Amino acid sequence: MPFTQFTSLDFDEIKAQIRDYLRTNSNFSDFDFEGSNFSVLIDTLAYNTYINAFNANLVANESFLDSASIRENVVSLARNIGYIPRSKTASKAMVTFTVEYEGEDVTSSTQKLSKVYLKPGLVCVGATNNTTYRFSITEPTPATLKYTGRTTNPDGSGNKIYEAVFGTPVDPIEVFQGTLSESRFVAKGLKDQRFILDSSNIDSSTITTYVQIAANYEATIGYGKIGRQWKMIDNILNLDPTSEIFFTQEIQDERYELLFGDNIFGRKLDTNDVVTTRYIVTDGESGNGAAVFEFQGVLTDQDPNEPGSKTVIPYGNVSINTVQSASNGSEMENLSSIKYYGPRLYSAQYRAVTPRDYEAIIQSIYPRTESIAVVGGEELDPPQFGKVQISIKPKNGTYISDFDKIQIKNKLKNYSIAGIDSSIIDLKILYVEIDSTIYYNSSQITSATDLKSKITDSLVSYSKNVDINKFGGRFKYSKVLQLIDRVDDAITSNITKIKIRRDLKVLTNQFAQYELCFGNRFYINPEGFNIKSTGFTVSGESSLVYLTDVPNKDAAGALDGSGKGTLSIITKNEKNENRVVVKSVGTVDYVKGEILINTINITSTITPNSIIEIQAYPDSNDVIGLKDLYLSFDVTNSKINTIKDVIASGEDVSGVVFSRDYYTSSYSNGELERK
Amino acid sequence: MAGTRVSRGFKDISFSFTPHPITKDLPVLTNERAIVRSVRNLVETIPTERFFNPLIGSSVRASLFENMSPTLVAVIEDQIIQTVTNFEPRVDNIHVNVDGRPERNALNVTVFFDVVGLSVPTQSFNFLLESTR
Repeated sequence: MPFTQFTSLDFDEIKAQIRDYLRTNSNFSDFDFEGSNFSVLIDTLAYNTYINAFNANLVANESFLDSASIRENVVSLARNIGYIPRSKTASKAMVTFTVEYEGEDVTSSTQKLSKVYLKPGLVCVGATNNTTYRFSITEPTPATLKYTGRTTNPDGSGNKIYEAVFGTPVDPIEVFQGTLSESRFVAKGLKDQRFILDSSNIDSSTITTYVQIAANYEATIGYGKIGRQWKMIDNILNLDPTSEIFFTQEIQDERYELLFGDNIFGRKLDTNDVVTTRYIVTDGESGNGAAVFEFQGVLTDQDPNEPGSKTVIPYGNVSINTVQSASNGSEMENLSSIKYYGPRLYSAQYRAVTPRDYEAIIQSIYPRTESIAVVGGEELDPPQFGKVQISIKPKNGTYISDFDKIQIKNKLKNYSIAGIDSSIIDLKILYVEIDSTIYYNSSQITSATDLKSKITDSLVSYSKNVDINKFGGRFKYSKVLQLIDRVDDAITSNITKIKIRRDLKVLTNQFAQYELCFGNRFYINPEGFNIKSTGFTVSGESSLVYLTDVPNKDAAGALDGSGKGTLSIITKNEKNENRVVVKSVGTVDYVKGEILINTINITSTITPNSIIEIQAYPDSNDVIGLKDLYLSFDVTNSKINTIKDVIASGEDVSGVVFSRDYYTSSYSNGELERK
Repeated sequence: MAGTRVSRGFKDISFSFTPHPITKDLPVLTNERAIVRSVRNLVETIPTERFFNPLIGSSVRASLFENMSPTLVAVIEDQIIQTVTNFEPRVDNIHVNVDGRPERNALNVTVFFDVVGLSVPTQSFNFLLESTR
């Protein structure tokens, strides 16, 4: 048999091929026996072939971004297209604190100390998830001492008390979760010298580097002991041979390397230049959430980067005020993310032009992004030219803080086209709920409760599917029906109705207009009751009221085809009959899927947090997340009823009992209230 | 996996690689000589030595560093019989005789066996096991 199966990569397969070949082409016969000399030869040949095949396969796979699986190679290939994978990110907290200092004698007119400095390193500790985390800074922070009072001894003498304020609520101090580490290198002037930071948990954005130029080492004119700070950059724009800059890149074992200039792009290090690098070694995501901090910092009397600074002991305890609790910590970018965003950022060329560009760039400047929707102003209704509307769904949350919004917007300015105003708007969530009646064969299950929880579990896991929970996501009705049917063999059928819901956050006790877009066409029942809401109260009406709708009709009483309707506020009287409170409180556009509520003063809502849940029935059971709507499958608010299938279990042969007692409608009911 | 065929003849290559004086062919081991060589290879192979087949071989070499005793002799005999039974289907009625040679720090091993399917008398071969390190 000729050697034609080049695809064999397995040692045993290769060995079998060689044996097959020998069986037909050789005078020898003993290769079948493991102890024979021939078998030893075959083993050696097969092993050789196996190693070659393995190496060829590995080299080919690791040469391309799509197929590489070793992190070092993926990072290196991504670097070739200009993508810098994200390092671990330290969670950041914003704090302010005031330190008191006991100064000179009250009789002295010379102020002993005018400024204090917060030394780089540990500042405070904060706890979250039953673990204490360290929070540090990388650069010294000064504060001016101001006279506030004095101490008084029994003999009338005393010392002046000063206070130094570190950070204000508007401009707080940013502390990073992690430990400050320092590495020091002496440049040897060698071509192959590498400056490698040895820890693998570095937040690369916190790397600060100081270089002490050797020529100035003795004179120290204008330079401290540590040298001058060089700037970390990620491109070579605007560089000249004297620019004091460095680059970073990830190398083996998730460590980082510093790269300095070459006297063409950036200043080159001379022999004996001393490089001091400080960076935060962080725990990443786990530091998020710490809100209460305890001061552990060190204060000095002069810039701690200067030689001869001394520690200052504060007078009294230092308490820390938290402006923003620790957040935005994240883990190192994983391989699939690098493979996804690398080519996208390359195609964006660090320029935010198309919505896809924004997706790639925002992901790189705000690592906590889970999903992004970017809508150009021209697509808005009414159009707003020159505007870009961005909605971001962060990981483990629904909204991003105002502070983060400002940060993202500022960073986006480096990439976006001049004249384009980008605004980050809060997430609009379109919830999809199901009302499912599931028939089961009672002879095949032990407990209906277990069956129900199995169904709920599988729906919950489906609701986490990336197809649904995203901007531009689509809820696929047939998939859900299939999913329910397949949960257990005992399930004979299911009747599932779809509802879409949005939560209207109202301004209580204020006159306001509201607009709510669902982005999906509504189903029109000519009788009304297409729109339902949870209860609320309005000024001038004491009872609980609800929203409902009446489609526009022509003189003959049929739908007029405008696809519009009137929104009304109604309530129930003591006989449980509907009573109209306001006949026209707004309009419904069934085609656009839009609800407009005219000026109204809502005083309270029965749902907490001033929310009115408003639901509609979609015209199509497949629901999409249009434009900036974030689609979310809400299993918690979905209804799952399990009903015995008496026909399948044999209790009802004719179907009479089934249609009388176990009947379920496939259409919505005419009830007023959303339940 | 070795087939349990009843062969009309066995032919294996020799590792001496000395060419035939006239034909210049590589030397060939046939029938009982091939089997003797095979049994010897099996006994002298250390388990895990063969690629992707860690079970082949006997642990005789590991036993050579033990102190000489009748128990050790019995253990080595058992190991050889077990190895040959497991991996050499062409032989039967295996008997092993181990003589200690304490003065030489060696064991003189004689293996007796019948070849399945060949009308040859009971074969035996003899080799000296010495610790090599």
